Amino acid sequence: MLKLLKEILRTGEATVKYPFAPMEVCKDFRGKPEHRAEDCIACAACTVACPANAIQMETDTAAGSRTWSINYGRCVFCGRCEESCPTGAIRLSADFELAVGSKADLTRKAVFTLAGCACCGKPFAPAKEVDYVARLLGQSARSAEEAERLRLTAATCPACKRAQDVQQIAGMGIARQMDAGHSESEHAVKERETTP
Amino acid sequence: MNAPLAPNALVAEMSPVSTSDQIATMKTALLKNIQRSAYVYRVDCGGCNGCEIEIFSSITPVFDAERFGIKVVASPRHADILLFTGAVTRSMRMPALRAYEAAPDPKIVVSYGACGCTGGIFHDLYCVWGGTDNIVPVDVYIPGCPPTPAATIHGFAVALGLLEQKLKAETHVEAAGEAAALPHPDIPYALRVRLEREARRMAGYRQGRTIVEEFMALLEGHARAPGALTLPDRMTAAVGAERDPRRAEIIGRLAEVVQRTIRGEAP
Ligand code: SF4
Ligand code: SF4
Ligand code: SF4
Repeated sequence: MLKLLKEILRTGEATVKYPFAPMEVCKDFRGKPEHRAEDCIACAACTVACPANAIQMETDTAAGSRTWSINYGRCVFCGRCEESCPTGAIRLSADFELAVGSKADLTRKAVFTLAGCACCGKPFAPAKEVDYVARLLGQSARSAEEAERLRLTAATCPACKRAQDVQQIAGMGIARQMDAGHSESEHAVKERETTP
Repeated sequence: MNAPLAPNALVAEMSPVSTSDQIATMKTALLKNIQRSAYVYRVDCGGCNGCEIEIFSSITPVFDAERFGIKVVASPRHADILLFTGAVTRSMRMPALRAYEAAPDPKIVVSYGACGCTGGIFHDLYCVWGGTDNIVPVDVYIPGCPPTPAATIHGFAVALGLLEQKLKAETHVEAAGEAAALPHPDIPYALRVRLEREARRMAGYRQGRTIVEEFMALLEGHARAPGALTLPDRMTAAVGAERDPRRAEIIGRLAEVVQRTIRGEAP
């Protein structure tokens, strides 16, 4: 009996104090994915990575908006969204108290505006993404003109880019025929300079 | 020859269970005046069993849900709370409904885990109903895959009206002129890509990002306040100061990437 009491005293209380005291979680605990919409560029990398389709994107070209949404009720807390996010806008936090009474409270949304193509004006990508990419490319540009050209490339929609490529290639073909005597390497250099 | 089928004939329309106002009043009264233990019956509707394991770990001495009088019982006829886990497979629909009907009114239905809330990772399988609320009315949702024992206790507290729910539906609308900040604008983009790539290759995306962020903070710190040490010395010191040999090796490799870039060699 005494031995048992001693053992009990030595062991102490194993039960955690939660919910009367906050619960400590370990360092790499994967809790609720916290989305900082200010840093999000609506690139949809997380949407593609999410294995449970908890994160979804809806593009409404008529309204010129793209809506990012997460359903915490579907999330399996795998952390793929955090791994794939280029700006670190989504992070798994230590928050685990997610129980709700109504299902609507499990979703979080963020609405972003779409930017029009610099060439045809049709909305094609989120304005924040275009802006982010342009600044990122501008960082490694050697001159202001090059930065501007890269910005224009980023702000052009794929269809217009393709059309421009076709025109460029067609123009090059004519040019090549016209100065057939000149060396080919000159063209190669020019091509490399104009291709972003 | 088979006659063509009308597509509607293939779709089973099953009306969801509905509760009357009287039962709703009884439920509120139960929650307000409950003076005894709340008995929980667990209905497994075809999950992976991760949720069951967490339910049982929340009644172990460490989490001890029984100190709040939450007891797991063996029959739905004794239950106040029905805990539905799993994505509700087609074959579990009837047993789940039978358990629901067997429990005496008023009963509280808790949808447990990502599977129970929305179908979770199984939500688009051909053989599931995708969530408890597709077959019975649900009072509380506890997300998680599986919810940790602490999250389970929080969920029960919400179900019994002891704690308020923390999550609220929110919608962020992009403000005019909102722009995402460029990370590490002082470090050349090409170098940053090389460093991130190397760190991810060595340590994976998550830990790699943590390590490379620390390393780039070191580079930026050096650029801002050079101090007595040169950059190579400072990086060597950082490698030496690292207690974990795995991290030390990764930081060493990142330092090498910087050295090679400074020397102008291809990465
Ligand atoms: S943690 Fe996994 S399941 Fe949850 S939102 Fe991120 S990618 Fe999706
Ligand atoms: S990956 Fe990051 S930046 Fe891209 S949409 Fe998701 S949260 Fe936003
Ligand atoms: S929510 Fe996750 S742990 Fe629970 S049954 Fe479904 S898959 Fe398994």
